[in-house]
Amino acid sequence: MAIQIVMDRTGDSRHPFNPDDAQELAKAQQRFYELTKAGFTAAVRTGPGLSSQIRSFDPTAEETVFFPRLVGG
Amino acid sequence: MFGFRPLPPGGRSRIRATRALFIRHGAEGTPEGRSLRLLREWLSPAQREQFARKGYFEVVGSYSGKRYRIHAGASVNVCEIGERGRLQEGLCFMPIGALPIGDVMLAQKIALETCEGEVRAVARRFTPNGFHFRQTRPLG
Repeated sequence: MAIQIVMDRTGDSRHPFNPDDAQELAKAQQRFYELTKAGFTAAVRTGPGLSSQIRSFDPTAEETVFFPRLVGG
Repeated sequence: MFGFRPLPPGGRSRIRATRALFIRHGAEGTPEGRSLRLLREWLSPAQREQFARKGYFEVVGSYSGKRYRIHAGASVNVCEIGERGRLQEGLCFMPIGALPIGDVMLAQKIALETCEGEVRAVARRFTPNGFHFRQTRPLG
């Protein structure tokens, strides 16, 4: 199972999906582009404590986290 | 009248440890607790240890290689660290929306480690002092 984690007021919303299921994968891909179009940044874990931003959907990513646009305080 | 009695030896530290345990585990179901759990999952072992012990963790900027210290907080909580470990310029930036503290800190970590230039472009600068970075709660 893979998972998309979207930061929100509740802490996060988690959307697990099976990457081997074409329908679930398509839904995850759609969610990815909806969120990034809305200004969210997507990042995947690449190692312990390491992450990288992704700008296109990665069907092999096990865990993707989305956070809203950054602003100055 | 109130019958206060002095604590037995070691009583105060037991109370403190109990309180820390409650905050760490009892709050897991709250937005703040969930966000802190996610943050801990994404920290390196060294960052996790540092956060637990000191209430902050350090990251390295993706572009400049500068070190930044992210303190527990949702704003006015990031500071550039000089070569001798002294606080330099403070950077105030956060994701939009009222996110819980752990989410804000994780977004700050990922942003500094992957797109430092964008962070520095939006962040408001401040001069850090001890008041900004007092550790008031065990969050790690």
